Amino acid sequence: MWMKLLGSILVIVSCSALGMWRAGQWKEHRKILEQIRKMILLLKGEILYAHAPLGEALEHVGKKSEGVPAKLFCQVAERIGQQDGEVFYELWKEAIECCRKELLLTEKECQEFQAFGEHLGYLDLGMQERTMELYLEQLQLSVDFYREHERERTKLCTSLGFMGGLFLAIIMC
Amino acid sequence: MEKKDQLIKIFSRTIRDILSKSSVNFEAVQEIRLRVRMPLILIVDNQEYYMTKEGDLSVRREDAHIVGREEIKETIEHISCHSLYAFEEELKQGFLTIQGGHRIGIAGRTVLDDSGIRTIKYISFLNVRLAHQVLGCADRIMPYLYENGQVLHTLIISPPRCGKTTLLRDIIRQFSDGNGGKKGVTVGVVDERSEIGACYQGEPQNHMGIRTDILDCCPKAKGMMMMIRTMSPAVIAVDEIGSREDLEAMEYVMNCGCKLVATVHGNSVEDIRQKPILRKLVLERMFERYIVLDNCGNVGHVGGVFDSGGSSLYYEGIHSKPPCARRAGCTTTHESQAGALGIPEFMPPKQ
Repeated sequence: MWMKLLGSILVIVSCSALGMWRAGQWKEHRKILEQIRKMILLLKGEILYAHAPLGEALEHVGKKSEGVPAKLFCQVAERIGQQDGEVFYELWKEAIECCRKELLLTEKECQEFQAFGEHLGYLDLGMQERTMELYLEQLQLSVDFYREHERERTKLCTSLGFMGGLFLAIIMC
Repeated sequence: MEKKDQLIKIFSRTIRDILSKSSVNFEAVQEIRLRVRMPLILIVDNQEYYMTKEGDLSVRREDAHIVGREEIKETIEHISCHSLYAFEEELKQGFLTIQGGHRIGIAGRTVLDDSGIRTIKYISFLNVRLAHQVLGCADRIMPYLYENGQVLHTLIISPPRCGKTTLLRDIIRQFSDGNGGKKGVTVGVVDERSEIGACYQGEPQNHMGIRTDILDCCPKAKGMMMMIRTMSPAVIAVDEIGSREDLEAMEYVMNCGCKLVATVHGNSVEDIRQKPILRKLVLERMFERYIVLDNCGNVGHVGGVFDSGGSSLYYEGIHSKPPCARRAGCTTTHESQAGALGIPEFMPPKQ
């Protein structure tokens, strides 16, 4: 009897933890998008104000920021500095693929992030500004979506986790 | 990093492979020329060679590697570090300066707007001019640039590719560090095209001396005024003067107690006297020394050092006269340039 009770409690606790973890992922995802947004704004400043080349601009922004996106920026800056003969878009795509799991981005967000690198560095300052503005808009939409649904999603995940655990425990008993 | 390793990184993969296979001494290479659908050409020790696919130098055109449009496009991307937008201003002037002070000349189709040249598109011609730092190349003329322990206003006159920037760089270094028992002085360098100091992220890549301040990528006229107001230099150095704004700034510099060292394109002092903007400085004897470089013999050959009155103080090749017969096109005369200055030779120096 005691064993059954202990088992049921363990199932409920682990399922609730799973639910809470999922809710946490949602928050984390939103935070990463916000972090990327902040870094793109900094990059915009570096490019438009200081006219810094991409390598330098990415390095400055990467060093000023934290988290996985900062690591990504520093990694790309380092690769540019190595001058291996690759075009920027290839470097950018490779770096995103490398950090993809840690970035927690969806397929669509990943594609947008990669597409952002496709036109970066191309033509004049006006083009850089428009490229960054476009991506910032896309990011803002994603951030708004995550923020809007955060409360209900968090509640849903934690409740589902707890209820799922309870359901399993009842079935097992 | 070796000069070759540093330099080949700016080229497309194909050209990079060719150059890396090559055994050419990059210290002797002066120019690498890329023209769309034309042979890859290297200028080594004033001689033109074709570069073969195997990385050898050849004088036979049919052996040459032919440069493709994609190769030029890729090279441009590497030269600009994937950031052509960061070099908009330089592009308008038709050149970029890269790490190491090497200058890349660019030609293609210009795009115009109301303010003039907006950019260059269809870039099809590149000229990579390698910067060479020659420490001590000014040793032999330094004694003529001082009088009573004081630095003199000096103008270096030289045709293109005769080593004026290299000479200017060494003069700056020697003024700054001190030379032959003379104390070093503070030198302010206005380096409009990043050629003198070859600054990379603000740090000079060439030896510029311990008392040298560099204002990088700054228009000369504005830079000279800024330097005087902010860094209190004893000597101001600028490369390739010529505009009316430059003239006004130079007059300001010379009249406020600073000494000026500058370079200008030309073959002789007479050439400078013919220039509508600079003739005033020559006639008023503002410059106390003229160093004339010529294309006789090696790069950096000093055709003569003249004082403000045009009297010859020094020239190279005295034991091998006539030196000017060595290369076609050499126009330097080693006699006094007083006539060129429009000043009688017996005229006493300006007090």
